[in-house]
Amino acid sequence: MAVREGTFGPAEPTALDRWLWRGLVAAGLLLLVWLVARERWEVVFASGAFLLKSLGVSWLLTVTSVAIGLPAGILLAVLRAGGPPILRHLAVAIIELVRATPQLMVIFWVFFAVPAFTGHKVPAWTAAITSLSLIAASYLAEVVRAGLASVPRIQVESGLATGLSRAQILSTIVLPQALRNMLPALIATIVMMFKITSLIYVVGITDFFRAVILINNREFEPVALYTTLAAGYFICCSLLSWLIRSLDPNYVLAQ
Amino acid sequence: MRWSVIWDYREALLSGLAYTLAITALTMIGATLLGILVACLHQHPSYVVGRLAETYVEVIRNIPSVIKVFFLYFVAGLDAMPAAVLGLSIHQSSYIADVLDAGFRSVPREQSEAAWACGHSRLQILHHVLLPQVVTTVMPPLTSQFIEIVKNSAVAMLLGIKELTFQTQNIDVETFRGFEAATAVTVIYLALSLTIAGGMALIGRQLTWR
Repeated sequence: MAVREGTFGPAEPTALDRWLWRGLVAAGLLLLVWLVARERWEVVFASGAFLLKSLGVSWLLTVTSVAIGLPAGILLAVLRAGGPPILRHLAVAIIELVRATPQLMVIFWVFFAVPAFTGHKVPAWTAAITSLSLIAASYLAEVVRAGLASVPRIQVESGLATGLSRAQILSTIVLPQALRNMLPALIATIVMMFKITSLIYVVGITDFFRAVILINNREFEPVALYTTLAAGYFICCSLLSWLIRSLDPNYVLAQ
Repeated sequence: MRWSVIWDYREALLSGLAYTLAITALTMIGATLLGILVACLHQHPSYVVGRLAETYVEVIRNIPSVIKVFFLYFVAGLDAMPAAVLGLSIHQSSYIADVLDAGFRSVPREQSEAAWACGHSRLQILHHVLLPQVVTTVMPPLTSQFIEIVKNSAVAMLLGIKELTFQTQNIDVETFRGFEAATAVTVIYLALSLTIAGGMALIGRQLTWR
């Protein structure tokens, strides 16, 4: 192993190191397969279609909430950066309040608050999409804010001096660069949204998490089912980050 | 709207707060210790150990915290409280490890090597060269990780632990005053987060003055 005196941090791996690592990974995977093969997998396969459908629900919730949350987040961030005072304070209040509250609490809050004002209960899907979008918008607003701050101010001033309007500067100069700079944080937040969808089962939507729990309540096969659950989320989250990374050809260079 | 419901349920809310505080405090300790361990392993000169730590962080990050907690509770058969604390500690440790790792990487490697060349031991380098610089860069992201722990503690209600979010739902079930309860509890969470942010800022200032 490449351990030398007087060096700090990880050293360059030798060929031996690499082979050692590969061997360890192979051994670990074998152990995992051996452990997992002893379980009753019929339960999982029997409900395959149901599980896949519920996984689709999780993806749908993620995609919808990000699709609504990203524009809303950009709007909040722009308002926070340079809106009229009232709107600016409102944006800050929304962002900070949602970010300081547990996500489970936000979901409950939307579920409770709407009936308190309108008098009748909200459908589960409306509550789910609203609360998830609200969460996505607030977290993404902070991501966008960091992205906007990463673009040097002088570019905005130069744009103003050239006679461009504020909207033009925002859409053609600042946002394209900001979006590029914030990609890593964006990926992290979208993956976080996928993980948060696992909480939405509290309002009664059958997402992947609830589906596995329902099957477990009937069959009681916790090891097989919870392993499937963890594996499902792990694969989807990894896929999600890989997918977004591959959309940006310069991602590796930018790192 | 009837806000007196909060006063009627003050004892339930206070005991909920006690549970939330207990989970938060224990998770903070657990996650920080685990995070330090993982960060150290990642900085370990051995390639294999470093990759192991990397794999741990990657796997833990891509699985929701609820699943870890449920896994420990239903599969490993732990009691509700240990399952919640351990699950949340493992969850947050991967993030804290990353924060600490980034902190140590922010100090140029040459500084450690120069100190080593001057004849300092590794422990002396850690104490006199690395830590004073790392603490200042690590404090802000560590604060947000700790606030994250406060928020994640709500997951414990899904195991039936009677913490704040559980009490909210309970008040709603008993009185249909979910909105008032949810608002009050949100304010409590906000106060908790602000207290942690303030406390960490204080500690950070103490550490940099020295």
